[in-house]
Amino acid sequence: MSTATVEKIDTDKPDVPFFRLVRVEVRKMFDTRASMWLMISTGILIGLAVAISLLIVGLNDNVAITANGFSQIMSFPLSLLLPVFAIVTITGEWGQRSHLSLFTLEPRRSRIIGAKLVSVLTLAIGTIVLAVALGAVANVAGAAVGGYDARWNFGMSDILWLVGLQIAYFLMAFALSMLFLNSAATITVFYIFALFLPLAVYPPLYFSFGWAQDFIPWIDFNYAAAPLASGEDFNGDVVSVGTIDYVRFMFALVLWIGIPGIIGLRRVLKTEVK
Amino acid sequence: MIKVENLSKMYGGFKAVDDVSFECRPGTVTGFLGPNGAGKSTTMRILAGLTIATSGDAVVGGVHYRDIPNPGTQVGVLLDASAQHAGRTGREVLTLSAITMGLPLTRVDEMLKLVSLTPEESKRRVRNYSLGMRQRLGIANSLLGDPKILILDEPANGLDPAGIHWMRSLLREYANRGGTVLLSSHLLHEIEVIADEIIVIGHGKIVAQGTKAELLHTAGTFVKAGDHSALANALTSAGIATLPSGDGGLRSEATPEEVGRAAAAAGVALIELRPAEGAGLEEMFLELTGDTQREAQTIEGVTA
Repeated sequence: MSTATVEKIDTDKPDVPFFRLVRVEVRKMFDTRASMWLMISTGILIGLAVAISLLIVGLNDNVAITANGFSQIMSFPLSLLLPVFAIVTITGEWGQRSHLSLFTLEPRRSRIIGAKLVSVLTLAIGTIVLAVALGAVANVAGAAVGGYDARWNFGMSDILWLVGLQIAYFLMAFALSMLFLNSAATITVFYIFALFLPLAVYPPLYFSFGWAQDFIPWIDFNYAAAPLASGEDFNGDVVSVGTIDYVRFMFALVLWIGIPGIIGLRRVLKTEVK
Repeated sequence: MIKVENLSKMYGGFKAVDDVSFECRPGTVTGFLGPNGAGKSTTMRILAGLTIATSGDAVVGGVHYRDIPNPGTQVGVLLDASAQHAGRTGREVLTLSAITMGLPLTRVDEMLKLVSLTPEESKRRVRNYSLGMRQRLGIANSLLGDPKILILDEPANGLDPAGIHWMRSLLREYANRGGTVLLSSHLLHEIEVIADEIIVIGHGKIVAQGTKAELLHTAGTFVKAGDHSALANALTSAGIATLPSGDGGLRSEATPEEVGRAAAAAGVALIELRPAEGAGLEEMFLELTGDTQREAQTIEGVTA
């Protein structure tokens, strides 16, 4: 059959602009029922955190929580569930096999990963801003309830460390998700190493054994960051910050973000999409 | 247009696609027919740039899929209708694609209407869709960007007979406007209804290709009698070679007249005597599926 107009592909057409890919990825973080419940749960946790803090301030005459303290409290419920978004943005595509149509609309997978990374970082930074803002509001409310003058002990360095560590956890979640390409495996590994061990296992070891104080900062960037951020270690002892503290911090970042990120990215870019 | 040249894909020692070459031209609907596991999906994934070929080449409109800017607006691809996030609504799936391609969101409503998904259905989550509804959604998604070329893997799977005829007229109109369509199926009946050109693939290799008329036309005769062995004996003694064919009949290279005379001479009453249209394709397909009978549905499709 001869057709006069043989349809040709237009290779001069503009690419899908990056901001549109980001817009789609941000939208995808919120358009399923699962993500809606995750957001609602986080909202409830924040509400609880504010309520409990204010209750403690109100019931105890000699307790005052500072602006920095409130922001730390607010960031906890945010960092508890939100890294799941960083995980399922990757593993959800593989689990639901929607990556088939995703990669046919933008065959350059590195651009999709880039858009997902930007959307995850936007969420991380957005939540921190929210945490600081809620901390400030709670600080004023706390001062009113507790009958003391609000303390604005908030340094630029505090904010930067808060933001930096929050981003590091999101990046860790993102890197692990590319490594495993499986929601259950990634969520398990992430929460064991980012939440369970640092909260339940490391502290008793840290406070009991000298070797643990040397070892744990190598494998946990939150512990490694403590002396750098505040000049105190997890015991609250003042330490003189040396090169080794920076090396440990960098090592922990490479261990949890660099290595899984590079191996995972290779996996995402190379593997056959079925 | 679509061009596949000497395409091969190895998985370890297994050749999933073995030196496959074919072309799909504008204005035609090409059916890619083969049993499950014959290499259809692998070939289509290679065309869409999702799988890397071991050797050979596959181009769409003269270029590799990966080099097409904003490909959704130029090539419509549906590789697996069930591969959508089950928690999203049908409308949301189309909306995400429309945003990616930079289309106005009115296009989403147009496509929903085209594939007959009601506004209520479009607000349900894909988890609650039947396979037929998922196929309609997938077809809407592939047509969203008004592409000139369509690549559809098993699009009729899960559609009822009315749905299959709907798809035929949809794709027929699309091809009449100059579009190129490649669609696959493991059911001969679907391909017969929808396609103009047929490529038959088995064990990774192309075993036949041509227009529907060419492939369905077979010289010879199909004959069937109540007394099967009496008929077989009568024809054999008259020197007419026969092969068993579908439905307990026989096929012969001889003309219907010769076969009829031989049967009459032996006094065998015939139930059926006709030119063997399509029997060749059917037999070939039966043979292909016979040793790889992966599911009863395949045979069902052949005799349908």
